[in-house]
Amino acid sequence: MARRRTRGRRKSRRKTARRSIWSRLFIFLLILLAGYIVYLDFQVRHQFAGKRWSLPARVYARPLELYAGQSLSADQFAAELQALQYRPVRSPRKPGEYSRNVNKFHLLSRPFDFWDGNESAQNLRVTFAGGSISRLEDGSSGAATSLARLDPVLVGSFYPSHNEDRVLLQLDEVPVALTDALIAVEDRGFYRHHGIAPLAIARAMWVNIRAAGVVQGGSTLTQQLVKNFFLSSERSLLRKINEAFMALLLEWHYDKDEILEAYINEVYLGQDGKRSINGFGLASYFYFERPLSELSVEQYALLVGLVKGPSYYNPRRHPERARSRRNLVLDVMVELELLDAQEAERAKQRGLGVSHLERKAINTFPAFLDLVRHQLQRDYRDEDITSEGLSIFTTLDPQVQWQLEQVFASRLKSLESGRGIEAGKLEGAAVITSVQGGEVLALAGGRDPGFAGFNRALNARRQVGSLLKPAVYLTALEQPQRYTLATLLDDSPLTFTARNGDTWEPRNYDKEYHGHVPLYHALAHSYNVATARLGLVLGIDAVIGTLRRLGIEQHLNPYPSLVLGAVELSPLQVTGMYQTFASGGFRMPLRAISAVLAADKSPLQRYSLSVQSVINPAANHLVTSAMRHAVREGTGRALLQSFPAERFVAGKTGTTDDLRDSWFAGFTDERLGVIWIGRDDNQATGLTGSSGALLVWRDLFSKFRPAGWSQPAAEGIEYQWIDPVNGLLADAGCADAVQLPFIGGSAPLETAPCKKDESPAPGTVEWFKGLFE
Amino acid sequence: VKKFSGLILCCAVMLLALQGCSTTASTGTARPAVIEKGRPAPVARDRPAPVAPPREQFETPAVAPQPPAVLALLEQAEQQANAGDLEASAASLERAIRINPGNAVLWYHLATVRLAQGEALQAEQLAVKSSSLAPGNTIQQARNWKLIAAARRQRSDVKGANAAEQRARELERH
Repeated sequence: MARRRTRGRRKSRRKTARRSIWSRLFIFLLILLAGYIVYLDFQVRHQFAGKRWSLPARVYARPLELYAGQSLSADQFAAELQALQYRPVRSPRKPGEYSRNVNKFHLLSRPFDFWDGNESAQNLRVTFAGGSISRLEDGSSGAATSLARLDPVLVGSFYPSHNEDRVLLQLDEVPVALTDALIAVEDRGFYRHHGIAPLAIARAMWVNIRAAGVVQGGSTLTQQLVKNFFLSSERSLLRKINEAFMALLLEWHYDKDEILEAYINEVYLGQDGKRSINGFGLASYFYFERPLSELSVEQYALLVGLVKGPSYYNPRRHPERARSRRNLVLDVMVELELLDAQEAERAKQRGLGVSHLERKAINTFPAFLDLVRHQLQRDYRDEDITSEGLSIFTTLDPQVQWQLEQVFASRLKSLESGRGIEAGKLEGAAVITSVQGGEVLALAGGRDPGFAGFNRALNARRQVGSLLKPAVYLTALEQPQRYTLATLLDDSPLTFTARNGDTWEPRNYDKEYHGHVPLYHALAHSYNVATARLGLVLGIDAVIGTLRRLGIEQHLNPYPSLVLGAVELSPLQVTGMYQTFASGGFRMPLRAISAVLAADKSPLQRYSLSVQSVINPAANHLVTSAMRHAVREGTGRALLQSFPAERFVAGKTGTTDDLRDSWFAGFTDERLGVIWIGRDDNQATGLTGSSGALLVWRDLFSKFRPAGWSQPAAEGIEYQWIDPVNGLLADAGCADAVQLPFIGGSAPLETAPCKKDESPAPGTVEWFKGLFE
Repeated sequence: VKKFSGLILCCAVMLLALQGCSTTASTGTARPAVIEKGRPAPVARDRPAPVAPPREQFETPAVAPQPPAVLALLEQAEQQANAGDLEASAASLERAIRINPGNAVLWYHLATVRLAQGEALQAEQLAVKSSSLAPGNTIQQARNWKLIAAARRQRSDVKGANAAEQRARELERH
């Protein structure tokens, strides 16, 4: 009994113990659940409100300015419109459309937010004649328009490491037709439920049965967003439960519009190689190559239809599936009276309108973008560049870049085949800038412009050879009382003995000595011995000082061989130095970026035009004048055939020992170009500056139309006829006499034997006058 | 701000015209920069202004007149400066310079805007640049030296400012 009782008591004790274990377990689980929900809540809020999306930076080319007189051919304009993804139509009605009739264009430009304000959409007629815009007028009134600016070509994006891409939209930028269709098809109860809708599953089933196909899914937009946003795509009960909790939490914290906006920007709509296509904004570009606002109703329907299965309904791979899915969406829209039945019928008849997917690299001009990124890194952190949605306006001129890429590839190929060099062995780099603005217009980092590898323009440091010589001559010409262009330099054998006993015997490229030659001639013909002797007289430190002023910032060793270019620089550094010559003695930073806007289009930073006078303009005029002689009669004379005599062209070739490097730096009134050709293994190329790099330069610059203006001669410059044999004052009647500029009062006073003291014959006068009239 | 920017447009047309004339003047005094025999001059191909072309032109270069685009941008720059948006005004002037980089007047105006922004050093450099593009144009050069004087005064460089003013006066006497 007692035992039984005891047993009974034990039983009941056991019972209470068991109950208390259960209740404890229950409480424990409850706490665990609460903790879990708190964790989920943190996740939801942190992710949604915090770093919701990393937005890649968008990089734009310079906007094309349209005005009468602008140097641009009709075909170049058409290429620009194509790069902007404007659509050719019979008569343009929406922004982003144009029509062309030979040399006449009619277009509706797209509105665009620039650094200095918004450019509104414009109705424009553009007429071309003789390689430039002959007339620009308002398309509706026909009145002449002085200036218009197109939206800029998107040339690339800086992505975060996981290749996320997005064109972020605010809800008010999303066409109502699209959100209506989306809600109609995916979640009709969206504005009524609290995140999950048990009834929706039943309704979806009913709709699907009626439509004899899968039209609706059971989960709400909120659940779908959660799925896209926070969770993996595995199908499990736990995940479903998570999804439901998170959907409820999301609805608790945020209102419907915020959730809808997030959904529109997040939903997965396709795949482009490694890049996933998220959000309707990007999908619109991906499938139709235009902004969402420019689409028509059946295109909205197609995008909405894709939500269900971007790969199953992929319109490029399964056009029939995509079509019937699209038409189903249109039917639902009619059913809910979002669309007129007749209009829907017409829309159904239309094709899918999906663009061909060209598997183009995400960044069209990787080498240029490399420079942009490099310059951005001075002012921005890496994560800001890839995730803050910056708009970066660059100075890239796509017209120049396309021309550069074309001539570079074909010239390197012909150099290889012409010289028996193994195909693909020659490499090169090029930098093209605007002379007065220092804007980098085009850049090549290697022979393959699409290859985002080693960027030789920025990172290859090669011996510059004779490219350095103008700095030596400039150092001399800045002392007009001692040196003029007519000063005779000694080009006879030279042996220099350093303090440590080492000797240096510079030789000329042609292995000969030329005796006494005028200074301009020594530079034009790139005589090494005369230059070395001049450099030694001036002092290596003085030459280094000049190089510093010209913009070379790196450390330079004061060895005598420096004056002949025994220094390694990148093509970009060389460009900086020649920029100073080309601009008339003003140093300016080479700019690849003009402005940066934040994601909300507020201006962050502008990289403005700035100049610094570092070289006496008159001395600079003299040295560029000698560089003109170089391309007329000196080492660069291969240019002569391609440019009319009156066109301003100046430049300098550079060749290094054993023909390892072939350089040319040259400029016109408008543009400066520095070209390098060599091999990555630093083997000989068999090319001099003039038989290699110069030809690339010539190919490119002969495509440019001459600028309508010219850098004037500096103040105080006077021209005199000089007999090059003795460097003395001559006149037009002297054979081989050249007219050279002199800094006021520095011209020689002694006359050459050929100069006649009596006044020249009448015929000569007439001929002479004819020069200036 | 309003004081200086109000001047921009009314001076612009006049100065553009003067620039056209002065080019001729400079070629008249100094020799044109003919490099070799039988070659036309490399300098003095400056575009004449759309206003009455100078009568005694030394050479008549076959170039287009001053694009109206430049005048439109000058007007825009003036409006922006009047509205107090100096950086936008500078941006418009840079656009104009991109179209017509050899126009000394545009560089002068950019210098004026920079000075109004308190960037005295850059203002002076831009004025020097303007002068380098207008050799022989004493009117433009005098204006540039006055601006340089103001820029130096802003930096409390009284001696330098006086020297610049002296230069301006000398040029005006010409």
